[in-house]
Amino acid sequence: MSVVGGVPAGADLDAAADAGAVVPAGLSLIRARAIVIGPVEATFTIRPGDRPLVAHGEAVVRGAPLADRLRNARTEVVGGPLDADAGIPGTEWAAPPSRRHGEAVPERGELLFQSGGRWRIGTGDHHEPLEAPFAGIVREVRPGTAIGLRSPVRAVLGREVLAGPSAGRLEVIAPRDGEVRASEIDVSGTGAILVVGAHIDAEAITRARAVGVRGIVVASLGVKERRDVLASAKRGQAAVHGLPPFAILVLDGAVRRPIASPVMAVLEAVAGCPVAIVDDPPCLVIDDAEVELPVPEPDLVRVLAGPMAGVEGRWAGLAGPHRFPGGVVLEAGYVRFAGRAAVAVPLGDLERFT
Amino acid sequence: MTRAPSALVAVDAGAATTAVALLGRPAERWRLAGSMAAPAGVDPVDILEVLAARVRAADPALADAIGLQPGEIEALPRLVSRSAAPRTLVAIGASRRSVAILESIAARTAWRVVGASTETHDPREMTELALRADVSAVLLTAGDPPGPDERASLDDLAGLVGAAARRRPELQVIVGGAIRRRRAWVEGLGEDPPGDPDRIVEAPAIGQRRHADEGLRAVLEGLLADPGDGRQALRATAASLADLLDRRVEIVEVGHNGGARAVAAPGAPGDEPTSSAVTTARGALVPPDPDDALVDQVLAWTTGSLDRHRMGDRLRDLRATPWSDGAGEGARLRLAAARAALARIAALTPELSALPAPDLTILSGGCFAAAPAAAVVLAAADAMRRTGATQLAADLARLLGPIGTIEDPVERRTLLADVAGDLLVPLGSVVLAAGLGARHDDGSVGRLVLEQDGATTRRELAAGDLAFLDLAPGATATATLELREAARIGRRTRHVSVAVSGGIAGLLVDLRDIPLRLPDRRDRRRSVLTAWSALAWPVDDR
Repeated sequence: MSVVGGVPAGADLDAAADAGAVVPAGLSLIRARAIVIGPVEATFTIRPGDRPLVAHGEAVVRGAPLADRLRNARTEVVGGPLDADAGIPGTEWAAPPSRRHGEAVPERGELLFQSGGRWRIGTGDHHEPLEAPFAGIVREVRPGTAIGLRSPVRAVLGREVLAGPSAGRLEVIAPRDGEVRASEIDVSGTGAILVVGAHIDAEAITRARAVGVRGIVVASLGVKERRDVLASAKRGQAAVHGLPPFAILVLDGAVRRPIASPVMAVLEAVAGCPVAIVDDPPCLVIDDAEVELPVPEPDLVRVLAGPMAGVEGRWAGLAGPHRFPGGVVLEAGYVRFAGRAAVAVPLGDLERFT
Repeated sequence: MTRAPSALVAVDAGAATTAVALLGRPAERWRLAGSMAAPAGVDPVDILEVLAARVRAADPALADAIGLQPGEIEALPRLVSRSAAPRTLVAIGASRRSVAILESIAARTAWRVVGASTETHDPREMTELALRADVSAVLLTAGDPPGPDERASLDDLAGLVGAAARRRPELQVIVGGAIRRRRAWVEGLGEDPPGDPDRIVEAPAIGQRRHADEGLRAVLEGLLADPGDGRQALRATAASLADLLDRRVEIVEVGHNGGARAVAAPGAPGDEPTSSAVTTARGALVPPDPDDALVDQVLAWTTGSLDRHRMGDRLRDLRATPWSDGAGEGARLRLAAARAALARIAALTPELSALPAPDLTILSGGCFAAAPAAAVVLAAADAMRRTGATQLAADLARLLGPIGTIEDPVERRTLLADVAGDLLVPLGSVVLAAGLGARHDDGSVGRLVLEQDGATTRRELAAGDLAFLDLAPGATATATLELREAARIGRRTRHVSVAVSGGIAGLLVDLRDIPLRLPDRRDRRRSVLTAWSALAWPVDDR
C-alpha cells in the first residue's frame, strides 16, 4: 500500500484531515474530476414532430420506447383540428377520417403554429424509436424539446458524446494507452460498447458501425474523426432504413492521450455489464447497481496537457510560482512520476480524481 | 463601534480560472498583499488560505497589521465578481438580410447568437431552435414598415414565435416591428399566455439610418444586466480609472466566454468621466465548437507546423480545459488565439478604434496573465492597430472586475486610488506610426530619439521596423520621431514627441502597416512571424 504524507492510498482526504493525518498541502488547488456520478438524470433531445410515448412519472425498462422519432422531419400546412379549442401548439394532430381519398395530407404530426387560418405541423414519413438505454423513471416530457429519465444507477462521466443514445454490454478491447485499428474490430463486438483506449481512427469507427457495435469509449477523438462520425450519423438519418443506435463517448478531448487509470479501473470493473451511452450529461451509464467500483487514490494526479499529457504521478506538494519553457511563470506543484524525484508541473496542467 | 476592516478579499470567479487577491490596509491606504489564480471549480477559500499563508511567511508584520490570522480568513469581507454563464439568443427574421442585421447588432452584446431566416430554415427547424433547452431568448423584429423581402413571412414568424413562447414559459422573447399587433402572434401566444408577462419585451424596429440600431442593442444588453458580472463591471472601472488618473483609459478583456472593450475619458472639471463599452461573446479566447474559420484565424498567427486538423484538436482542448497548457508551445498557441480574439473585438468596435489612442491600455484576462510581457505587448500591437503612443499595463491580480462591482462611484474611486499602483503591472509602451512604406523599401525612414533623465538614445528607423527598446518599469521618457516623410502618428506629421512610460517589456516601436499585411504564402508568413516573435519570446526554451 502506498502512503503519502501519512494518508493511505485510496483514503478520503477530508476524512483524513479530520482525523489529524498530514494531507499534502495544496492538493485542493488542483481541479478535481469526478469519475462516477449518481443518481443519473439523463435528458434525451426530441424535435418538433417526434412523438413522446411516455408520460411524466412513468417507470420504463431498458429498451422501452420513449418516443417515436422522425428521420426526415418537415413542415406541412394543414387545416388543423376541427375543434378550434384543441388547437394548442405542441399537441398531436391526426388527419380527420373524412378527408378525400388520395389527398396528399400527412396522417399525423405535431401542431407548430397557426397563421392565416391554417396550421403548420411537423411531420415525416420515416420513423425510428427512441428506446430507453437504461431503466428509470420519466421525470420530464416536453414535446419538441426533451424527455428526462432518472435512475438510481451510477455513470462514468466523459467530455462529450457523439450520436447516441445507445446501449450494450461493455467490452474492453485495448489497454488504456492503446489504439484500435479497423482490422481489430470483428463481429464478436456486435451489440457491445467497446473501450478502445487512447485513440481510434475513422476507418475503425466505420467498421464498428458496420458490424453492429453499439458504441465506443475512447480517451480522445480528433477533429477529423469527429467530422467523419457526424457525417456518417447524418447519412444514416437520411437513409430509408436508418442505422442501429451507435454512440461514441469521448472521455478527455481531442489531442491523443491515454485513458486515466482510475477511469480505466472503473471500466474494467464494469466489463461485461450492461451499460449505456447518453449525451446529456455525457456519460456511460452503468446499468447494474450491484457492481463494486474502485475508488481513486486521493494523491494521484494526472497531467492534462503539454508534452506529458496523460502521464500520472503522486502529488508531493506545492512548488509556488515556477518558470516554465517559453519564459512563462505559473503556479506549480511537485509531482513524483514513477517514483522518481519530484518535478514541478503547472497546477493548471494537473487533475485529480474524486 | 464597528472597526473598519483592515483586510479585504477580491474574488474574480471567471469561467476558466478563479483569481483571488488579498488587499490589506496596514495603515491609511489599501495595498495589494498578494494574488493567485487556480482553475475554475477550485474553492476560493482554498486559494485564499494558501495566499494568506504566503503573506504570513513573507511578511509577518504585514500579516499581523492586517489581521491575517489562521482560522479567521473565511470571515474576511469579500468583493466578488463572476463571469455570468453565456446565454443563447435565436435571431429570427423574414429574410437573410434582416437576420444579418439582427446578428450584427446582437454580436455587439454578450449573447451567443444563432440566426434563422425563412430563406435558410423551414418553420419546423425554426421551432426546433426556439424550443432548444440551451436557448434563452428569441428575437424577432423587422423594419417599420417591413421591407419587401419581409412582408410575406411576417405573419408566419409571428405565429411561430408566439407559439414557442406559449410552449416555453421561461423563454424570453424580444419582438419589434409591430409583431405584437399581428393576429398570428395573438393566436400563437394564446389568450392567457403562461409565464411572467415581463419576459416578452418590446424592441425597436430594424433601423435604416446609422446608429438607429443602438436601441435594440440596449434592449439586448438590458436583458443580460448583472451587477455582479465582472465583464460588465469593466466599464465602471475604466471610468473611475480615467477620472482618477486624468488619462484616457481603455480596457480590453479576452475571456473564456466573451470579451470586452471599454474606453473612458476624464470629464471636464466638475463633470463625470465619459465611457463607452462593448461586450461580445465573439471575443472569447476560443468560442464554443471552434470551426474552420476560427482555426484559420489562429493558424494565421502561428509559427509552428500544425495542420488544420491538429490546430482544431488543440483549440478544442483549449476550449475544454482553458486553464491548462499554459507553458511552452501552449503559451504561444494561447497568445495566437488571443490575437485572433483581439482582432475580432477590434472588428466589432470600429467606433472605439476610431478614437485617438488612449493614454493607458489595460489588458485583462487569464490568457495574458502568464506569458512574457514582451509577447503580450507584441500581441496587442499586432491585433489592435492604431497610430500614436499608449502605455500598456496588465491586470494580473484580476482586480478590475471585482472593483467595478462596487456600486458607489466614490467608494470605487477611493479604493482604486489606493491600489491603482499595485494592480496595474506596467508592460511597457507602444509607439505606432503608419504610412512609412513597406519593408522592401531600403534605407532609413528617420530616427527615434529617446530622452530619459538627461541621457539620449538614438535609433535609426527603417520602413516596417519593429523593435523593443529598454525602458525600465516606472521610468518615464520622451520619444521623438524625426521622419524624412510625413507619417501617421495620431495625425500626419514628420516630427512628433510623445511621453512614454517604461515597463517589463520596455518601449515597442512599431512602423508596420495598418492594417497589418502578412504574406499570403504560409511559409513566408511564418518566416515573418518568426522574426517578430523572436523579439518577444525567449529563444532558449520553447
